[in-house]
Amino acid sequence: MAKKQNNAEGRREFLKLAGLGTVLGGAALATSGTASATEAVDEAASGYRETAHVKTYYDLARF
Amino acid sequence: MQNQVQKETVLAEDMMRADLYSLLGSLLFAAPNETVLQNLNSLTGDGTEMGQAFGALSQLATATDAATARREYDDLFIGMGRGELLPYASYYLTGFLNEKPLAKLRNTMKQFGIARSDDVKEPEDHIGSLFEMMSGLITGRYGSPVGISDQRKFFSTHIEPWAGHFFKDLEAAQNSRLYQPVGAVGRLFVEIETDAFSME
Repeated sequence: MAKKQNNAEGRREFLKLAGLGTVLGGAALATSGTASATEAVDEAASGYRETAHVKTYYDLARF
Repeated sequence: MQNQVQKETVLAEDMMRADLYSLLGSLLFAAPNETVLQNLNSLTGDGTEMGQAFGALSQLATATDAATARREYDDLFIGMGRGELLPYASYYLTGFLNEKPLAKLRNTMKQFGIARSDDVKEPEDHIGSLFEMMSGLITGRYGSPVGISDQRKFFSTHIEPWAGHFFKDLEAAQNSRLYQPVGAVGRLFVEIETDAFSME
């Protein structure tokens, strides 16, 4: 467990030293408002949705 | 799969990675508009190779208007019939579009709850889409942030086998001006990610 922690820290240190810091801030700005290639799958759309209609059905069926 | 990590805070170093994936993803998926170009020229780089590539990108962005960037993007990726480069995993790995690497990616996307946007026609294994997905997996855009081991798996399966070659091609492409330093940043970032993933 301690080893895993050390490795995780090592990884973070490495990333800091690798020069990624130079992009911090600017990069986030640069991409805001541009088109997206992907999106989250809308699980509600394919699965169960408690619409007013469904609610009425369950009320009537005394669930 | 995406719910394995219950710690919801994304570390600063990981936010940096997500930002860089997102920046590269958006530049590779579409030509930068005027706002993006203006934001790019506010970037400053330090003395590292990555910093120098960013310095070059910043300078070129200052000297490039949106119409010129659009033409360069089209020459590189769209072209008359086809552009100079085909930025798809399937093409780089098999020589053809829409092959097994794309099918494999679609399975992975399903596991993580990622869908292609409705208005997008490009196959999902476009380098820009893949970088956007890495960014989203890190920040939790598709649900919860995924842990390093799932990130590593996504990277080593869908990005690492070919992205380095692609970025070298982009750096060396005839039509690359603004995209020359984009290629350099991408190549260096893939190297950094490869090394960082091997540490944990």
